[in-house]
Amino acid sequence: MPRKPRLVWLLCLPLLAASHSIPSETFEEELHVRALPDGKVASRFSFSVLLEGTSPRNPQNLSAEDESQHYTLFPLTLGQILREYAVTELHLTLNAGNWNYGRWGYPDEVDVGSGAELWAWMGEGGTATVDERWRGLRNALAGLFCASLGSLDELRTTSPALFAPSGGLPDWGMHNPHEIRHASLPSEHVCTENLTPFLKLLPCKSLSGIATLLNPHRLFDADWHGMGLHVSWLPEAGVQARLTFQSVTDPLRSSDKRDWSFASIFDRKIERRCPSATASHVVVSLPDNGAYSIQPPPPSIDRASNAAVFDLKKEPVEFDAPLDISMQWPNDEGFEYNLVPQTPLSVRRLLHGSSQDRGSLAVSISNSGNESVSVAYLETLPWIVQVYLHSMTFSINGVPRDDILRNFTYVPPIPHARAMELTLNLEIPARSTVLLKMDVTKAFLRYTEHPPDAQRGWDLPPAVLVPHGGKRMYTPTLLLDLATPDFSMPYNVIIFSCSLVAFIFGSVFNLLTRKFVVVKVESK
Amino acid sequence: MKSLVDTGALFPALVVGRLLLALTNASDVLKHNHQLSTPLTSYLNLQEGIYLFKNGIDPYSGGVFRQSPLFLALFTTVLPTSRIACSLIWTISDAIGAWALVQLWRARQRVAQTSRDGLIAAAYLLNPYLFLPTLALSTSTFENTLALLSLLFAARGHASPSLLAAAILLQLSLSSVVLLAPLVLLLASSPVSQLASPRAFSGNVKIIIPLLVEFLVYTSVLTLVSALVSGGWAWIPQTWGAILTLPDLTPNVGLWWYFFTEMFDHFRPFFLMVFSIHLLIYIAPVCIKFQYDYLYAAFILLGVLGTFKSYPTMADPGLFLSMIALFPEIYPYLRYPIVTTLLHLHAALLMPLFHHLWLNQGTGNANFFYASTLVFACANGAALTDCVWAGLRIAIGPPQEGFSVVQE
Amino acid sequence: MASHVHPTDTTLRDPAGLFSESIRRLIIASYWLVIIAAIPLWWQTTSIERLSLPTSRVHAQAANTLRFPVHIRLENVQDDSLAPALQQFVQERTQTSGLDVTVDDKDADSYTITLAGGPPLVMERQLTYPVRSGTLPALADTLAALLVPPVDVHRVAQYSPRYRLAFTLLNEDAAAGTSISSWDVSRAISRHLSPILNSLSVLHNFTVESQVQFHAPLAFSPVALPHGYGLTPEDLTVFVNSAEWSLSSSVSNDPVLHFILFIPSESHKPLQILDSNGNPSSSDAFLLPQWGGIVIYNPPSDLDSSQLPPSALTSVFSTFAHQLLILLGVPSLLPEMRTDPSSALTGWQLDALLRRRASENADGARDTLESIVKLVDQIENMPVGQDVRGDVQNSLTALDKMYASTSLNETLHQSADALTLASRAFFNPGMLALLYFPAEHKYAVYTPLFASAVIPLIAAAMREFRAWRKERR
Repeated sequence: MPRKPRLVWLLCLPLLAASHSIPSETFEEELHVRALPDGKVASRFSFSVLLEGTSPRNPQNLSAEDESQHYTLFPLTLGQILREYAVTELHLTLNAGNWNYGRWGYPDEVDVGSGAELWAWMGEGGTATVDERWRGLRNALAGLFCASLGSLDELRTTSPALFAPSGGLPDWGMHNPHEIRHASLPSEHVCTENLTPFLKLLPCKSLSGIATLLNPHRLFDADWHGMGLHVSWLPEAGVQARLTFQSVTDPLRSSDKRDWSFASIFDRKIERRCPSATASHVVVSLPDNGAYSIQPPPPSIDRASNAAVFDLKKEPVEFDAPLDISMQWPNDEGFEYNLVPQTPLSVRRLLHGSSQDRGSLAVSISNSGNESVSVAYLETLPWIVQVYLHSMTFSINGVPRDDILRNFTYVPPIPHARAMELTLNLEIPARSTVLLKMDVTKAFLRYTEHPPDAQRGWDLPPAVLVPHGGKRMYTPTLLLDLATPDFSMPYNVIIFSCSLVAFIFGSVFNLLTRKFVVVKVESK
Repeated sequence: MKSLVDTGALFPALVVGRLLLALTNASDVLKHNHQLSTPLTSYLNLQEGIYLFKNGIDPYSGGVFRQSPLFLALFTTVLPTSRIACSLIWTISDAIGAWALVQLWRARQRVAQTSRDGLIAAAYLLNPYLFLPTLALSTSTFENTLALLSLLFAARGHASPSLLAAAILLQLSLSSVVLLAPLVLLLASSPVSQLASPRAFSGNVKIIIPLLVEFLVYTSVLTLVSALVSGGWAWIPQTWGAILTLPDLTPNVGLWWYFFTEMFDHFRPFFLMVFSIHLLIYIAPVCIKFQYDYLYAAFILLGVLGTFKSYPTMADPGLFLSMIALFPEIYPYLRYPIVTTLLHLHAALLMPLFHHLWLNQGTGNANFFYASTLVFACANGAALTDCVWAGLRIAIGPPQEGFSVVQE
Repeated sequence: MASHVHPTDTTLRDPAGLFSESIRRLIIASYWLVIIAAIPLWWQTTSIERLSLPTSRVHAQAANTLRFPVHIRLENVQDDSLAPALQQFVQERTQTSGLDVTVDDKDADSYTITLAGGPPLVMERQLTYPVRSGTLPALADTLAALLVPPVDVHRVAQYSPRYRLAFTLLNEDAAAGTSISSWDVSRAISRHLSPILNSLSVLHNFTVESQVQFHAPLAFSPVALPHGYGLTPEDLTVFVNSAEWSLSSSVSNDPVLHFILFIPSESHKPLQILDSNGNPSSSDAFLLPQWGGIVIYNPPSDLDSSQLPPSALTSVFSTFAHQLLILLGVPSLLPEMRTDPSSALTGWQLDALLRRRASENADGARDTLESIVKLVDQIENMPVGQDVRGDVQNSLTALDKMYASTSLNETLHQSADALTLASRAFFNPGMLALLYFPAEHKYAVYTPLFASAVIPLIAAAMREFRAWRKERR
């Protein structure tokens, strides 16, 4: 029987495979530093953990027992949330400040809307609806990041299809399509409380590797900073969680030179390597022209992108710890600003009108390119501001145009219940600025619906401009001034109004029911 | 002036004047005014609803459009929507209302023509409470015209047109249901003034039930038509429901908005109920007391609506004030017409001023405007109670030296 | 009130002849009719939903106690007097624990005592013991220890139908020196813990998860010893550094039992646990009551891979298994008892645990229900919704079923349901809604309207009523 041993082998194979059910995990970290045209320095940290060969949880199995979760590098607290609410794709960003596209160009990470933004793709089906899981997800992430994401409630939730998934969506059948939920909270302030839990999710925390440079004292002092969590499913690879941190620091703030170093930007150096990282790179974009010097000398240069690459994992060690990369322009006498717009498209949004009950929303979209661009403009506003679509006009240099708007989708707001979602598909002609105007009315709220600092106004979430096949752009937030009632008045109003109603009611009642009598007037 | 009134040329002249006024740009300024139109009657919201409807979006799926689907049906088919055309339509509606008021006067006096005709038309067409909302293109204009038409047809004894007008009016404004009882009873009796000689109800009681059934049929048909036009029943909570639940707290001249802005959430349903029931509580007493003159009962109930309804505009008390012209016999018995007039003058000046100070200037706060609406409510209440008094007092006879009439 | 007489010398008409009394009364009646018709609406719009709770059923539960019939069969014993005597002895020893012990030689689904020599051997639900009249008291002691074993209740985690077991491999500092970056956790769990988890599956469901952390600093500095470092008993109580170690997540409400393997950093190696005298103890593990277990592993410096060596894995996980048994309150056998090493738990242990958990749950459910009833009774404004009432009723039903059930598994199951439902009712967020809404507030809101609008109505109604009575007389 020569074939028998082979058969036994085959029988054993699945058993062997089952015993190694822990997916292999890889952790890659990268820091990209580049000087911006206006002399500021943009740095982008990216930490990505890949759970190889895994797929998101199918919500139809939510009622069944979940398989045991064993993680080595992937953060368990995040993994639990993803499994508990069967989230396929998740993006959470907490940003402070407005990204200046005109001066800085496109960011490395596109999600730069001010405040907190959360969007997720989840499959339909199973015992809990997408909305129930979305609520649970918000609360869980609020707990994880110590951010007030709990207030991203139904009043702020929309489902804009414009936010396409960056990874894949598993096919769980016709009747269980994936749905998007999106919410943003522009008034969320990003601070150290949010960074600490962020760092805890990293395998090496901020104790070794590139993450050492994440020094809250410096980062929160930057001109712009923002952190992000991006979970997506890469069908060929597995579930990937990517934590990002971007900042824009200004070397010109303390000197008139644009020279920078780790020590000057972060006030820290990379002291030790992260042992659990499979790849660890520092990439520094090099200037295209002009004399500059970079220290230590870069071990390799990526010609395609003209960037110096420092591989921290490479053996033998290419640099001496601690690593402090610095960049200098020795011939610079003093830096001069280069104020050429860095992106072909630009968008501005303003709320006109000083009245507290109405106003007008003006959006100007410029295309400096030589070809017309088709863009989608997404406005998601809370119900407290209501646009009048019938008053929507498009003009170029004051000349009304009716060939700009291709089509639109609109989900009207419901008072006290649902946010508005308006997507305009526009065609922006070459070398022109399109002005979009529409009237808005502002709601009058119940006195209990106002926030404690009611006079401050409401932050309206950024609008999003998506060029066809291009990167998302966010507008700055707007401050909406709402009329307020007098918060000290409830009892007064009850007394005044009720008394008046009762008085008129009583007068009419008396007139109708009392007997008329004729009396003699005693006159002297 | 005298000759103008006599020749009957005053009415056409007033209409022409109003049409000229309609051609000005006044509506662009006035259409935002919260005193002249409410979220339920605003021209802007109407236009937005029509725009959404034309673009295939259900206007009732959001919270901005709260007008009847009948408007959608009319403005997307037969009626034009340009601003000038609308101004003309609104003014013509006012002219019809004025005509109906004049005819109502004639029906009450049982004459073909009187010297007061022109004066009555002027009382309607020149009443600023009425022509300003019309200039602001508030749909309350149509409500007033329909109310007058249904009263006119009832006074003439034309049951079907009267009930149809009332049914359409109910589609536009749920609160108008208050008028149904005096309207039906007016159909069963006569419009002739009986205020001076009260007696028991002498009309035909038997026709009341068939009239109510007819009204129900019209209402059901119109409701069905509305559902067909809007493609569902979502319009009911958005239009009629809004009148009862007050989802939109935009300021207006009424008593509800600030009260429910400041109300504690726990008591909100209770007070919404109280304020709604309060409107109904007047129907039976007024109809019983004025059972010898239902036109006067309808007039008093219009006064109640103008004071207490949930989303009133200036046009609602305006209709009541203009209708006073129909009842010259009560003038000698009014106790404090000067006070009422001054209160109205006071409120009419304060409201726009304080509204502007609060929302545009930012130097006032909500209490300013609230206080002026309280004054306005006092003015309306004073007019209402005085008319009730005069309507009853007239029966006792003209005042005599040395005697006075009081209530126990 | 004297009725007014119309003056005779006036041209004014007599109002009494114009407006009849009946019309006036009709009007007053019509006002009242609308108000009376609106009263149900008033009630509906302001009432706090306050359904009645089955108070008497809750109080009746207090009198019930859970009793467990225990049947022991004496096998192959010739002397008929032994069984009654043994029953007497066992009953004396288990009096307070709710057991109804019967001992006889009838064949039934129960515990069996087999006569044999040598030390006691405990098998599934069987005890082999040299039964003689002289050994009866000792046998009764043994039985008592098996049926009602002593348990350190302070260390046992509170009962939950579901636990999450979180295994964490913590490197104090992986960037410096030897570190352990992976462990074959799923194999270790299936080898060392699965048998226990399977036998306990009648009591609890388990969710298992694990993670590895590379930087987990201690919140204190260990004591330096001549050869390494030590943890004093005080250090152990603050060993877990919750601020820096991301151990727990709030994603579900199930209680978590933590099992931590701590790898000290190069600078703290070897790390030992000290006894109260400051001497290194032989154990490398300790238990945090109701929270979890911790094992410290000092890797040899010549470790050739970053994976945890199999020998260490075995010893760590058998410690975890032992800690798990303590945390879940599984009674241990007396040292002199022998057992079958191949099975994780004997039926004796499992049954004792089931009985204890069931009576704890029943007590807990009863107490919680009593508290709800008492609280609702005390606070008049507290809303009681359908969900709260439903939970209370279902909890009572589960308690009733528990008393009626014949199998031990069923008893536990119902007791757990009763406790879960009672707790859910107790913590229902809807019960807080109007807790801070005092009655004075209500009067302040109602008075402006009612005082001024309803008083004229009442006055008119009373006046008319008096006038009507006068007319009748």
